[in-house]
Amino acid sequence: MRRTRRALLRGGGATVAAAAVLGLVVAAAAAVPVLWPHDAMTTTFGSILEAPSLAHPMGTDGVGRDVLARFGEGARISLLIGLVAVVTGALAGLLIGLTSGLAGGAVDEVLMRVMDALMAFPTLMLTMAVTISLGSGLPSATAGVTIGTIPWFARVARSETLRITALPMVEAAVALGMGRARLIRAHVLPHMVSVLVVQATATYGSVILSVAALGFLGLGARVPTPEWGAMITEGMEPALTGAWWVAFFPGLGMLIVVTCTSVLSDRIRDVLDPRGSFSGVKGVT
Amino acid sequence: MSRFLLRRTFSAVLTVLGGTVVAFVVMRLLPGDPARLVAGEFASAEAVAEQHRALGLDEPLWSQYLIYMADFFRGDWGFSYSLGEPVFEQFVRSVPATVELAAAAVTLAFAGGVIGALISSYSRGGPLDAAVRASSYIGLGTAPFWLGLLLLIVFFERLQWLPGPEGRLSSSTAAPPPVTGLHTVDALLAGEWATLGDAAVHLILPAVTLGFVIYAFLVRMLRASMLELVREPYILVARSKGRGRWGVIVRDVLPNALLPAITVGGLVLAELLTSTVLAETVFGWPGVGKLVTDAILQQDFAVVQAFIMISACLTVACNIVVDLLYGIADPRVRVRSS
Repeated sequence: MRRTRRALLRGGGATVAAAAVLGLVVAAAAAVPVLWPHDAMTTTFGSILEAPSLAHPMGTDGVGRDVLARFGEGARISLLIGLVAVVTGALAGLLIGLTSGLAGGAVDEVLMRVMDALMAFPTLMLTMAVTISLGSGLPSATAGVTIGTIPWFARVARSETLRITALPMVEAAVALGMGRARLIRAHVLPHMVSVLVVQATATYGSVILSVAALGFLGLGARVPTPEWGAMITEGMEPALTGAWWVAFFPGLGMLIVVTCTSVLSDRIRDVLDPRGSFSGVKGVT
Repeated sequence: MSRFLLRRTFSAVLTVLGGTVVAFVVMRLLPGDPARLVAGEFASAEAVAEQHRALGLDEPLWSQYLIYMADFFRGDWGFSYSLGEPVFEQFVRSVPATVELAAAAVTLAFAGGVIGALISSYSRGGPLDAAVRASSYIGLGTAPFWLGLLLLIVFFERLQWLPGPEGRLSSSTAAPPPVTGLHTVDALLAGEWATLGDAAVHLILPAVTLGFVIYAFLVRMLRASMLELVREPYILVARSKGRGRWGVIVRDVLPNALLPAITVGGLVLAELLTSTVLAETVFGWPGVGKLVTDAILQQDFAVVQAFIMISACLTVACNIVVDLLYGIADPRVRVRSS
């Protein structure tokens, strides 16, 4: 574990910077709603569309709400939904993939065909369909993006299960009379954790973008909710008449979170799985 | 080869059918009764029941699915209540705008991706390589609707160099005589230079917005495969025979890196379908994407359902074509799979 941590930090400036900046956003999500004097929902008609200033570092929106306060709430919503969706999706995918890989035969065939069918859509379309059928709103959007992640996790979990169960050590364990439950716990799960973690970190950013896209399309968070995508929708008209800050900061927040997690995710993959590494490659040209 | 083709097509047809079943079931769970929508808000209970029967909603789900699919392949995609006309006709009208936008975006993205990957492999580990990598991370982390809005703020609101979100042409410009439906091409064919300029100017920001995501995706993949190829022995041979660094990268590495790029065709299409919905909405571009978002706002789900069906079919079709092309381009794939 310590070796892994040290290897992660050796990744150089980009990794450390990404971790630090992501930490800042997490800190903002935790601190702003508690410490910042302005409220995310309180409208002040005396201060509509004020440019960023000391009193309002991110300005105010079309009904005089403080954009920084809303940014902080939005960070909470995005980071949390991302976490919920990825963890739920990973667990469900793990269950499906494990079942598929261990059972084989018809069960495997059916489960994987269903996953293929789910993957036949561009992820946002599947997410849209689920969200619409559940009725728009933040909970449906969360359910939608979660379902969108399941097939990817299931595929990875299945192929890992097949890879691990073919290892000689598993054969040995079975020969020694190890039961199936213990086999899964002692050998299969520990050996696929790293791959699932890589998949989870890689998925996290795209989940956040999907939730925001649903919010932007009017399928996710309802309008006064300070969700980043919905905030961008609200900021569109002001932006075209000069008030750029309403839509700018939520989008920037998303860009930071998604970029930092994908930098970290690539680094984690390089460390956990050196096969796919391109850092420090020495070629002849 | 023909067996490979047959098996591949068969499994793809299965997948597409599975996809449509999922789309159908999910969309049928919709809140609200379509019969109520057709009959009108104040219709009597009998009228609604009548409409219910007429729409086939009292049939079992599987037979509704079969009817829907049969209609779908005959071009009957249902009726749009918000616009008062068949869904199919709306799609036919919107497709050219989307094709024009997507073609421009993919061209930009591909050119940018190849140039970026060349720069990256030439100056591997240097500042230019870092810049290309950063641009790829940013492209993948940016919501297309936000990027579009930023471009509008800078180039329309501040600098006033480019038109705002008003669609494909200025209101004072008449559309060119329709031949292909692509305004730029039609204007060129008709020799209407002013219209061509207007159409091109309107195309820039939406195409850059849509193209940037695709660029980010392509450059990341091309860079990775080029850096891997650079380590191959044949490159060492080419170098030792006296070919320069640029020569090796352009003539020996790039062609072999472009080949695997075919395989991500399906992913690129999926990304295009997704991002075009978002980009068109920001720019008021009257294509398929805007049709869908307008329908969502109007709760007109026949349009959305048709779009989801088409996306599933297109993505799977694209994956088959990709597999076939790849099988033709790289014989090893064919051999391994049979």
